[in-house]
Amino acid sequence: MGASGYILRRLGYGVILLLGVVVLNFLLIHAAPGDPAEVIAGEMGGATQEMMDKIRADYGLDKPLIVQLGLYLGGVVTGDLGESYFFNQPVIELIGARIVPTILLVVAAQMIAITLGVGMGVLAARRPQGAWSAFVSVFSTIGYAAPVFWTGLMLIILFASMLPLFPVEGMESARFSGGPILYALDVLHHLFLPALTLGIIFLAQYARLSRASMIDVLGADYVRTARAKGLSERKVTFKHALRNAVLPIMTVAGIQFGNLISGALLVETVFNWPGMGRLAFDSVLRRDYPTLLGVLFFAALMVVVANLLTDLGYRLADPRIRTGGSRK
Amino acid sequence: MDPLLSVRDLKVEFDTRHGRVTALAGISLDVMPGETLGIVGESGCGKSITALAMMGLIPNPPGHLTDGQIVFEGEDITRASPRRMRQLRGRDISMIFQEPMTSLNPVFTAGDQIAEAIMLHQDVSKKEAWEEAVELLRVVGIPEPRRRAASYPHEMSGGMRQRVMIAMAISCRPKVLIADEPTTALDVTVQAQIFDLMRDIQEKFGVAIVMITHDMGAIAEMADRVAVMYAGRVIEQGRADDILDDPRHPYTSGLIGCIPALGREAASAERLPPLAEIPGVVPPLHLLGAGCAFADRCPLVHDRCRRERPPLAPHGMAAQEFLGGHAVACHAAEREIAA
Ligand SMILES: Nc1ncnc2c1ncn2[C@@H]1O[C@H](COP(=O)(O)OP(=O)(O)OP(=O)(O)O)[C@@H](O)[C@H]1O
Ligand SMILES: [Mg+2]
Repeated sequence: MGASGYILRRLGYGVILLLGVVVLNFLLIHAAPGDPAEVIAGEMGGATQEMMDKIRADYGLDKPLIVQLGLYLGGVVTGDLGESYFFNQPVIELIGARIVPTILLVVAAQMIAITLGVGMGVLAARRPQGAWSAFVSVFSTIGYAAPVFWTGLMLIILFASMLPLFPVEGMESARFSGGPILYALDVLHHLFLPALTLGIIFLAQYARLSRASMIDVLGADYVRTARAKGLSERKVTFKHALRNAVLPIMTVAGIQFGNLISGALLVETVFNWPGMGRLAFDSVLRRDYPTLLGVLFFAALMVVVANLLTDLGYRLADPRIRTGGSRK
Repeated sequence: MDPLLSVRDLKVEFDTRHGRVTALAGISLDVMPGETLGIVGESGCGKSITALAMMGLIPNPPGHLTDGQIVFEGEDITRASPRRMRQLRGRDISMIFQEPMTSLNPVFTAGDQIAEAIMLHQDVSKKEAWEEAVELLRVVGIPEPRRRAASYPHEMSGGMRQRVMIAMAISCRPKVLIADEPTTALDVTVQAQIFDLMRDIQEKFGVAIVMITHDMGAIAEMADRVAVMYAGRVIEQGRADDILDDPRHPYTSGLIGCIPALGREAASAERLPPLAEIPGVVPPLHLLGAGCAFADRCPLVHDRCRRERPPLAPHGMAAQEFLGGHAVACHAAEREIAA
């Protein structure tokens, strides 16, 4: 089976996985206490029995759960995620307006975490007994243990009061005027702190992992071969060793995408970032189930896509996987 | 004729849990242009460390080259700058390793890895280097070299990978090729093919080969001269024919006794008790005492051996004079010569 067959098969798995996630989320949310009809009625300013019944009928809440699930699944397949109880707006539109900031945040955080983390780990591995290596070990332990909101608050304190270089709130300046390039810069400026906060937590893991992986690879026979050719230490490290050391890092990066997305939920709340995280948080408080389900669906979709991309990247990076897959 | 590469009183130490241990306790060797020098000895006697020292690749830490010289074409390379060493490595002195399965980088094609060495030391374009890599693969006897150049190591057998390593090592026409147990990991028929290939290459390019092995059979087949090592020292050295026909050190006799079906038993049996295998193991380096390191395993041991370490060669002879001659570090052998 060639690469395209592999991709098709992975896409198929992805779709099945997503459907499973949708069903589970749906059942879990309906098992949670609280009656959405009451909440909706509350929003409308009163809750007579008559109104409640009408609301139940309007939203299909009076039907058996299995029927509701069937209707919901049918909607999902045709791209209809229902209407928000709170906004009275299609969920897909609500999410559409917020998914880009979230993707921006997650991707920026992942890039910060990987480049800084791998850089730190690689430098540490070149002298495993050195002071820098010890610093990286301590730093990554602390970074790993510190909760997101703590890191976020520390950065807010640091940058809001002591070193006010970066905005700590929102995604764009109020009353912004300027061309698209200036706007992009403005967004990047706002992106810095939230992305750094989210990145730092994962950075620690990448630093630790790449330090270990790099130390391992630097002792490999083929690294000795590279030296025996007369290559410079820089070429040996960054070409021959790093190309192999990143393989386990790629695997972890794929797995971390899910955690990164749930971390984004907290970071968006701390920095008032207008993404899906805030929407999810608010929907929980408002018992806005369709919106919450929609957010969860898109989060799962992002994870599935990220994992697919990681897999493809891994196949490009490791020729053993590439041909191994095609032989089967 | 001057030696191409000569090692003088080389001492290498390692920092270990037991403190500093001596891996090489002052060894001297000469490699003449175009010859094959065999270095033979059991596991752990320091063969690979000797080879890595010649490449300037002793891992540091924990290794330290604490004394001695390695002179290549008149230049003491133990004092060469890292930059100078990188020029020599792969261009003038190159090496192939014991582990063909893991010595090639799994993420680059065979052709890329050979072409990389060519481009590093020669002023050629990427395309020219690739063509040269394909040609080298043909020289080392790989079928369909053009297709194989684009293959990854995992798509090749061990023997084929070792051929790729050899192609890489000879890509810049080195003057010295160090082969550290190049066939240990390969099966017997492939071993013979690799030996044939190395002989071909020596004939074609006139390269001097340093053949490291623990197998006297390989020495008999390949080497012009031999250095026998034991516990970080050279204990017997001379022309391969002399040593195989007339080994002086009981350890060397033991190694020859280990050659299967070579028909040399008759020659050595008269002189020494035959040893099908040498009993015992090489003592750990940190436990070596003042006497001969082989004393505890030696069938001819006597008191003096435990007190006093025998020097290599009859007393007073300079290392240079060993060349062509036959030198041995053994009290028993000395007595015999005196007698
Ligand atoms: N990195 C190291 N740290 C500590 N000691 C080492 C190291 N490398 C080698 N040594 C020691 O140096 C001695 C010589 O090792 P070397 O690898 O040269 O043996 P060898 O003769 O090549 O054996 P083999 O036939 O198993 O390859 C060994 O006793 C070993 O313990
Ligand atoms: Mg060895």
